[in-house]
Amino acid sequence: MSSRILEVSGLDLSFTTYGQRTKVLHNLNFHLDAGERVSLIGQSGSGKTVTMRTIIGTLPMPPGKVENGSIQYEGQELLTLSRKQRNRLKGTGISIVLQDPLLSFNPVLTIHRQMDDIVRYADMRNNKTRSRTDRRSHIIDTLKKVQLSDGEHILGSYPMQLSGGMRQRVLIGMSLLNNPRLLIADEPGTALDVTTQQEILNLLNTLVSEEGLTLLLITHNLGVVREMADRVYVMQKGRIVEQGIKDEIFASPKHPYTLELMNSVLPLYGDKVMDVADTHHEENAIEIRGVNKIFSRKIGIFRRKTEINHAVKEVSLDIGRGDIFGIAGESGSGKTTLAKIFLGLHKPSSGEVAIDNQNLDEFHGSTEFRKTVQIVYQNPGSSLNPRRTVADQLKVPLKFTGFSPEHYHSRIEELLDMVELPRSYASMYPHELSGGQKQRVAIARALSCHPKILVLDEPTSALDVLIQNSVINLLHRLRDEFDLTYVFISHDLSLMRNFCNRVAIMFRGEICEQGRTRDIFANPQHPYTRALLSSIPVISVEEERLKPVVSKAERNAVLTTTTELTD
Amino acid sequence: MSDGPVIKDEAVRTLSGGQMAWYRFKYNPSALIGMFIIISVIIGAIFAPWLAPSPESAGAHVDFLNRHSPPGGDYLMGTDNVGRDIFSRVLFGYRVSLGLVVGVLGIAVPFGVLLGLTAAYAGGWTEWIIMRFTDVMLAIPPLAMALAVTAVLSPNLVNAMIAITLLWWTWHTRLIYRIAKGQMTEDYVEAAKVSGASHAHILFRELLPNCISAIAVKTSLDAGFVILFGAALSFLGLGVQPPTPDLGTMVSTGSEYLPEYWWEALMPGFAILYVILGFNLLGDGLRDMMDVEL
Repeated sequence: MSSRILEVSGLDLSFTTYGQRTKVLHNLNFHLDAGERVSLIGQSGSGKTVTMRTIIGTLPMPPGKVENGSIQYEGQELLTLSRKQRNRLKGTGISIVLQDPLLSFNPVLTIHRQMDDIVRYADMRNNKTRSRTDRRSHIIDTLKKVQLSDGEHILGSYPMQLSGGMRQRVLIGMSLLNNPRLLIADEPGTALDVTTQQEILNLLNTLVSEEGLTLLLITHNLGVVREMADRVYVMQKGRIVEQGIKDEIFASPKHPYTLELMNSVLPLYGDKVMDVADTHHEENAIEIRGVNKIFSRKIGIFRRKTEINHAVKEVSLDIGRGDIFGIAGESGSGKTTLAKIFLGLHKPSSGEVAIDNQNLDEFHGSTEFRKTVQIVYQNPGSSLNPRRTVADQLKVPLKFTGFSPEHYHSRIEELLDMVELPRSYASMYPHELSGGQKQRVAIARALSCHPKILVLDEPTSALDVLIQNSVINLLHRLRDEFDLTYVFISHDLSLMRNFCNRVAIMFRGEICEQGRTRDIFANPQHPYTRALLSSIPVISVEEERLKPVVSKAERNAVLTTTTELTD
Repeated sequence: MSDGPVIKDEAVRTLSGGQMAWYRFKYNPSALIGMFIIISVIIGAIFAPWLAPSPESAGAHVDFLNRHSPPGGDYLMGTDNVGRDIFSRVLFGYRVSLGLVVGVLGIAVPFGVLLGLTAAYAGGWTEWIIMRFTDVMLAIPPLAMALAVTAVLSPNLVNAMIAITLLWWTWHTRLIYRIAKGQMTEDYVEAAKVSGASHAHILFRELLPNCISAIAVKTSLDAGFVILFGAALSFLGLGVQPPTPDLGTMVSTGSEYLPEYWWEALMPGFAILYVILGFNLLGDGLRDMMDVEL
């Protein structure tokens, strides 16, 4: 029997805000044994992060309050410890890796200073003294554990000088500095591109087995869980609704919520994949030829130097009427720039763009153009004005495309019906709506003046999986009803596989591969597409088998590694 | 803190925006106290002729029998060097102070906000010119400016108001510029552009509503400072001229009789403190409530 590292039993927690008490955790029971990899799964708002912060003791109390229960670390009760004793455990007993590697660093201090502080303060708490050089060599050794061999160079850098993947590695290194026994990882890799996420997950797996760590992984991504966990706890609304061995849960989920979660994950391969029928018309909705977009900015005091960013390189595309055309790529691949070119928000540096058979140069800016192309943004929290009611926001496009004011009201009701929202929502403010509802309002706004083409810029990536699917179904329905053409921009290839009939893969501003979705996924040609597909965490063995196999050499040929500094 | 009723986690909060704001306001002691103070001052100022024990004290009234009477008894705050009731004069003095606030902020805030919004939205040369002009105005010492204005024109309430207004808008311009500049990166601005919205629409319908809470907080904090500044000008003899009751002038006259007739300077001083405290508490309370960073 292995020893128990962490045991949480009967934990109840509530928040009090402005006199209202809300219970957020209900009788939570879970435990971790030494060397185990345990995962806590749940949607946003299920209480995963609150649980994590209660364990490490960083939850502000008040407003938080532990009502019942205990948290034991190696048999020691944490909740009754004094602050000082509890701090002594931080980093040395329990350590943590947070979601966003950039937000976890202080941007104005060097990596060395930030890592050295961690070692120094832990030493002080534990009454140890080490010289500066000893500490430095210890830090460099630790960086080697996270496969960063060029420690000297990294220590002298500032966080912004490192790539996202490297920052996450350094962050993991930081958490290992004082040899903790328990590592808590809160959505590691969620903020990273899928190829980088893959590397980070591999690293964590290696560390658990080599360093003898115990891992508590907090995530919403079932694919990640499948690769990373031995045991799983499923959380819903502050309660653990199902627990068990990972393979058993994945094979036969019992609780309806778990089942719902599993079904909501879109399959990448296999029988469950939904093929979108090719409704390819002869006519082209969007036709672009040899488009380049170069951003240049004069820098320096005398503005002599020019910084050049070639965001879109020689892109040619034909998007047919009725297509759901996916543009996939990782962050910085130029996909959003391309979308903004379609909308006339960026002027291409060179090349031809025709929208609905009209040259964009003459077309854009006209009312007719606005009635042709509209956009739905990624984050409805940002794309809807927080201080204006739903009706006010839906009115804007109507007002400026010459809709007669007496029809505003009926059109707004019609739009709300279209996106399946109650008509009474017209008088609500965005903060009164949920994320999915907000996105529906944004879709309604885009559709308000009968556009023919809709650019969807990651329309579901800010939403939970369950809600994501309902929005996708809505989009499918609307397309059939109004004969729309979609340009769908996303980094989520699983979603693209099930939503688009044609895709183009973008890589560093260029389109490296395009064609019918089914063909591209079944038989990817470009090494980048292959690397991308192989990195996606999937939830069944069958899918794993169908993914393209990419050797390390092949992968390194196209992707920059996150272990070495590139200048 | 006592625990409120447990709300079931499944329950959806159905409070409207306004109800929610009032709810938070109720639980914010500093906002409540500030609000109470301001309301008491406003009532005192508006109804001064009826509330004041001796309304005639507001003018050039003389009552040598009762000069330098200490606080208490017939006179709540005592009497001044010519026997006028200080409490009555304070109530009338609040009229001047609040008038100054309304006059100065009524012009400076809209002007400053308009410039800030325009600079943030237009960008380029417009932004550069507006913001550098603001910087220049910020570099002028306010007291020197007030001295200059009242020296060129004549020292009275209106000219003091002009002098303060000339410099006050700059703070609002900077604040709103910064907030609006941040809002410009939000997608809703671009969405409005894609919808074909006009410049005026984006400025006043999209950006301005998102600046309102900051403006409210800043304005209520400002009100206190305007009163203070006005009082300082009067103290120096550049503002309101006697016999009009003004808190600054009263402190100035009263200070000649310190320390034996201390109430003549101290009581109007406390009256200034009271109203400024009120505005500051209200401003702080609003800031907590609306989550504004200044």
